[in-house]
Amino acid sequence: MSKDSKMRATINQKLTEMGERERLKELLRSKLTECGWRDQLKAHCKDVIKEKGLEHVTVEDLVVEITPKGRVLVPDSVKKELLQRIRAFLAQHAT
Amino acid sequence: MKMEDMSLSGLDNTKLEALAQDIYSDLVEDACLGLCFEVHRAVKQGYFFLDDTDQESMKDFEIVDQPGVDIFGQVYNQWKNKECVCPNCNRSIAASRFAPHLEKCLGMGRNSSRIANRRIASSNNMNNKSESDQEDNDDVNDNDWSYGSEKKAKKRKSDKNPNSPRRSKSVKHKNGELSNSVNADPYKYNYNTGINYETLGPDELRSLLTTQCGVISEHTKKMCTRSQRCPQHTDEQRRAVRVFLLGPSASSLPDADTMVESDCYDASDGQVLMSRLQWDGSSDISPSDSASSKASTNNSDSKKPKKKKSLGLNSTGGGGGGGGGGSGSGGGSSSQSSLVGLSNRKKKPKLPVPPAPSIYDNLN
Repeated sequence: MSKDSKMRATINQKLTEMGERERLKELLRSKLTECGWRDQLKAHCKDVIKEKGLEHVTVEDLVVEITPKGRVLVPDSVKKELLQRIRAFLAQHAT
Repeated sequence: MKMEDMSLSGLDNTKLEALAQDIYSDLVEDACLGLCFEVHRAVKQGYFFLDDTDQESMKDFEIVDQPGVDIFGQVYNQWKNKECVCPNCNRSIAASRFAPHLEKCLGMGRNSSRIANRRIASSNNMNNKSESDQEDNDDVNDNDWSYGSEKKAKKRKSDKNPNSPRRSKSVKHKNGELSNSVNADPYKYNYNTGINYETLGPDELRSLLTTQCGVISEHTKKMCTRSQRCPQHTDEQRRAVRVFLLGPSASSLPDADTMVESDCYDASDGQVLMSRLQWDGSSDISPSDSASSKASTNNSDSKKPKKKKSLGLNSTGGGGGGGGGGSGSGGGSSSQSSLVGLSNRKKKPKLPVPPAPSIYDNLN
């Protein structure tokens, strides 16, 4: 197990160091904006805010409400593409 | 295989897959968090709802879905059935026809004056017809001059826009006005001012005929003041008018000579003829193709398909009122008289004849 976790740590480090993590982040962000995921989620935010009241909304409120929905709303194509890239990276760099 | 891999690398596919999934969900969560922070900041700074329209305005612009009305709620043919009362004639007119009616009713606007002038001209004609009939009797039997051809020419013109100023042949001047004053006018007005040949003496007639088309219009009984090559009248008509007005001897018309020559020549031979007539001073007229561009603006565009023989003699061409098509007779200074006859010849009605000849005349 610790080996695994060591492995993971190494890989994560590599991901970050090589800038691949940032690239993947950017890719994901642009894809999500393109497909309308961002606007959908923003509309959901509006509902939450109207519900909770404009003055008293906290970050936690939003996070709790938004994140699960956000995960679900990601389109399959985006998900597949991202996974593909990650796997490619792993195949290349995981010893 | 798998076991070996496991032992060797310490990683296997499932683990890799799991790792990939983990990395993926980390990325997604990052994106969500980013959005949350953005929204929260916007809320706290107060600009989150700024890009929305307020509820009231939304209601104003809602899509309308009723029958008889478009999506904005406007009625389509609201003004179609309405009628207005004309303040001038007190008639009730349909709304969409109100503006044109008012134009005619008040006598303002371009067309109403034109129509009025035409009516005046035709009513003048009716009055004058009884007088001129007696004089024209002998002319009715003249074979050369046929009313029919004139009608044909007129019909062609009627194809044009009825409202264009060129259409009307009505006279802007009263009958009996001297030719001199009329000569200046064609350049001022677009109307085809006519001359009443009865009031002109033979000398005046002769000079007129050397410069102008002169064909007498059937309804107005006036001579056409356009150039010798005006497309409205054929050369036959011009010749006939000259015969009629100046007498059959037509000493001023060199018909015989030039007639024969021109008949023999094709348009292409125009150049040859032209050189012959060099004394005339017109040099650069080619009836057929080339020099058409040089020709006067009127004629440069289209050549009528009918190719009548002879035409070379455009040299004398344009002369008088700005080069018409056909065989112009020399409007220029010298030797007009001999060349007058040329105009009577059958030629391509729209031969490009430059007004240049007259310029060249002066040079020579």
